[in-house]
Formats: sequence, C-alpha cells, structure tokens
Amino acid sequence: MPMKSSDTRWGSVIKWLHWLMALGILGNGVLGLVMVDMSRGMDKLNTFAIHKSIGLTVLALLILRVCWRLYDRAPRDEPMPRWQSLAAHATHGVLYLFMLALPLSGWIYNSANGNPLQWFKQFNLPALMGKNEDLAEIASETHEALFWILIVVLVAHVGGALVHHWLERDNTLLRMLPFARLRARKTGENP
Amino acid sequence: MKSIVCLLASCVLCSAAFAADYQVEKGSTLGFSSTFQGERFNGSFTRFEAQIRYDAANIEASKFDVSIDLASASTGDKDRDDTLPGSEFFNVAKFPSAHFVTRQFKRNGEQVIAEGTLTLKGIDKPVDLQVTFVPKEGGATLDVTTVLKRLDFDVGSGEYADTSTIGNEVEVKAHLELGAKP
Repeated sequence: MPMKSSDTRWGSVIKWLHWLMALGILGNGVLGLVMVDMSRGMDKLNTFAIHKSIGLTVLALLILRVCWRLYDRAPRDEPMPRWQSLAAHATHGVLYLFMLALPLSGWIYNSANGNPLQWFKQFNLPALMGKNEDLAEIASETHEALFWILIVVLVAHVGGALVHHWLERDNTLLRMLPFARLRARKTGENP
Repeated sequence: MKSIVCLLASCVLCSAAFAADYQVEKGSTLGFSSTFQGERFNGSFTRFEAQIRYDAANIEASKFDVSIDLASASTGDKDRDDTLPGSEFFNVAKFPSAHFVTRQFKRNGEQVIAEGTLTLKGIDKPVDLQVTFVPKEGGATLDVTTVLKRLDFDVGSGEYADTSTIGNEVEVKAHLELGAKP
C-alpha cells in the first residue's frame, strides 16, 4: 500500500491518520460522556487523565495530517454532482475545524480550571492561561456544545460515505478503507 | 565528684532558664506541597498552634510543640480540598489534629536539626526538621523544612495510594514570626 495518495485512492499515511483519529474521537466522546457522571475518586481522575491524553493525541495527529495533506495530493473526487462534491468538501473543512477546536477548548477549560495536563503519565504540558472560573465555565460549555455539533457533522460525513458506497456504488468509501479493492469505474469516464 | 554533678546540674538549669519562649505572631505560615498528575501544587494549614522554646547558644534546651488543625488544609482546588478531610486522606472526623513534638536538637555542621515525632492519623513517626532561626528585635523568625512520605502516615490510602498519580513525597515548610513571650 503506497504511503502517498494517487489519483484514485488515499495513501496509507492518510488512511492510518483517518482511522486512528476516528477511533480516538469516538472513544474520547464516549469517555467524556461517561466520566462527567462518575463519582469522585481515583477512577474519575484517571478517566479524565486518559480523556485528556487521547485529546492531545488527536490534536497532534491533526497537525501531522494537515502537514501531510499540504505535502501530498488528494485523490480526485469520484464522479458526482457538483452540489455533492461541494457538500463533501465543506463537511471535511468543518471536521478539520472541529478536530482543532475540540481539543483546544478542552485545553482552555483544563487551564482555566487549574488542572494539570499530563500525556499518559509521560510528560506535562503547560496551561494556556491562569486560573479563571468564568472562562472555565464558558470553555466547558463550549467543549460540550462543540462535541454535539461534531456528532451532527459526523453523521453527515458517515451518511455521505455510505450513500456513495451503497447507492452511488462508487469508490468514495473504498478508497479510504485499508486493503479494499476498488470498483471498476463506470463506463464512459476517463480515469 | 559531688561538686561536679552539682556544677553540671546547675549548668543545665541555667541554660534552660536562658532558653527563650516565643509566641507565634501574625504572618506565620505552615505550607506543604506535593505533586498531582506530574504537576506541583501548594497548600497550607491556616490553623495551627506552636509552643516554641529556642536557645541558639544551647540548642539542646530548645523545644517545639506544634498542633495542626487538619480541617484547615487548603490547596486552592475545590475538589481536592473537599477530598482532603475524608477518611482516605486526613480522616478529620477521627483525627482532627496532627501533633509534632521535638525529642532533641542537633547540629549537622552549621545546620540545626530538630528531631521529633509527628503524630498524624494516629501514626507516630520520627521526623527531622531543618531549622533556621534568625533573632530580630523583640523576637525572631523561624523557618523549618522537611520532606515527609504521605504513605508513612496513610494519607491517601486505598485507591489514592497510587504514587504515579499523587506523589508520595510531601515538602513541608513553615515560616514563623516569633515574638518574645511577655
């Protein structure tokens, strides 16, 4: 599997980043929803610590991914109506913004709340600002609101991919899956 | 022989008489610091009482006796401050105060060491304080520091005993403004 993307399919680097980040984002969403209702104790502290560590990891992977996207090409869009193509690209843009805004709002909340920030017990990262209760509350609410909006955008993203896969029967999903064999292009189209 | 014993005894009495008793005045602090998730935090006890007798010329005649109201621990974090009085940490309901009393004073070069016993959460352990005593007009300042291991005193027991999250070592620092007892 080539590392770099081709005209028709994504390279292995982007596939890895895409699916790792998908796993991280969904896992962290579940952790986030569970941890806030846990009773006070070490389990809660550790669950928060893991949530923060995963969030930081997603943020680091996002930076890698943006760098790689700037360096590597993207495959050409599968044949589709212009509105679908525009909608898909707009959704991707919004997803990138959210992948940045979610960890950042969490980091701001953590800083303003005066909590430590440690990555999987390995090293600590600095607070972005001093303790500030008002800001902490705003950041906390923003963090949660962004998550729920992200879920809506993800439904559109996943829904779009599945429509292309099952209804349009094109390669939109397959070219992002590892080890998938691409479908032959519809006749009358240039590769 | 008898006269020598008398002489020694009177020396001890004399030196005890010269050792000054002090009272703790405003501006005194009793702080502690440890780590949580790799980050240092500072706390303090806002209520404590200390009987301080000190004689720089004859340190053996000195004595510290300190009682600390454990419910007065404050670290600037609400969750943490709500957790500290609980049974896993100080267990304030059963052990409202900690007590430190010196056994003897020693010199290690220039450094004065106060060897004593700390009773915390019903556990007695020897604790040595590094003592810096600076006389001033009408009194003195006294700075003491030591490093304790919280698990020696069962502070943060059960699930909280995990030292990869909550550091075992706790630095204790006190700064006392002392006034001569009237």
